[in-house]
Amino acid sequence: MKLQQHRITRPPIAQWFAVDLLVLIILSLVWVLDGRLAGYSAFLGGLIVVVPNAYFAHQVYRYEGARHVRLMVGNLFRAESTKIALTAASFAAVFTLMEPVHVPALLFTFAVMVVTGSAVRWLIRPQPRR
Amino acid sequence: MDMSMVYMAAAVIIGLGALATGIGFGILGGKLLEATARQPEMANQLQVKTFIMAGLLDAVPMIGVGIAMYLIFVVAG
Repeated sequence: MKLQQHRITRPPIAQWFAVDLLVLIILSLVWVLDGRLAGYSAFLGGLIVVVPNAYFAHQVYRYEGARHVRLMVGNLFRAESTKIALTAASFAAVFTLMEPVHVPALLFTFAVMVVTGSAVRWLIRPQPRR
Repeated sequence: MDMSMVYMAAAVIIGLGALATGIGFGILGGKLLEATARQPEMANQLQVKTFIMAGLLDAVPMIGVGIAMYLIFVVAG
C-alpha cells in the first residue's frame, strides 16, 4: 500500500519577526530626525508590538498537529488574552516610568507596527514542505 | 475637562475591543476544531491560517488598547 505523504506547513515566524524588526529600526531612525527622544519613543512603541507578538507565536506553536488541536486552541485563547494584557501593561509602564516620552512618535510607531505585522503575515505566506 | 468622561471613553474602547476580539477568537477557534475534526491531515495548514487570521483579527483592538492607555495615563493622568 502506498503511504500518502502529507505536506507539512510551517509559518516563517523568524522571517516575519526579522521584517518587523527591520521596519521598527527604519521607523525609529526616521523619528530620530525629529530628535533623540522621538527616536527612542518610536523604538519603544514598536517593541510594545513586537514582544507580545513573539510571546503569542511561541505560545500558539507549542502544540502542533490534529492530535493536539484542543490544547492548541486553548493556548490560542490564553496567548491572545496575555498578549492584550502585556500590551496594556507595557503602555502603562512606559507612560508612568519613562518620563519624558514623545507621545506622537510612540503611538504612531505602535499603530504602524500593528498594521505592518498583520500585512507581513498576510504577504509572506508559508511555503508547504514535504 | 471632566476626567470621568475620559475614563469612561477608555473603558468603552477596551471593553468593546475585548468583546469583539472574544467573539472573533471564539468563532476562529471553533472553526479550527470543526475543520480539524473533518480533515485531520490538514491540521498544520489550518493552524497556520488560524495564526495569520488571529494577527489580522486583533490589529484594531490592539490600537484601541494603545489609545485607551494614552487617555488614561497621559490625558487624565
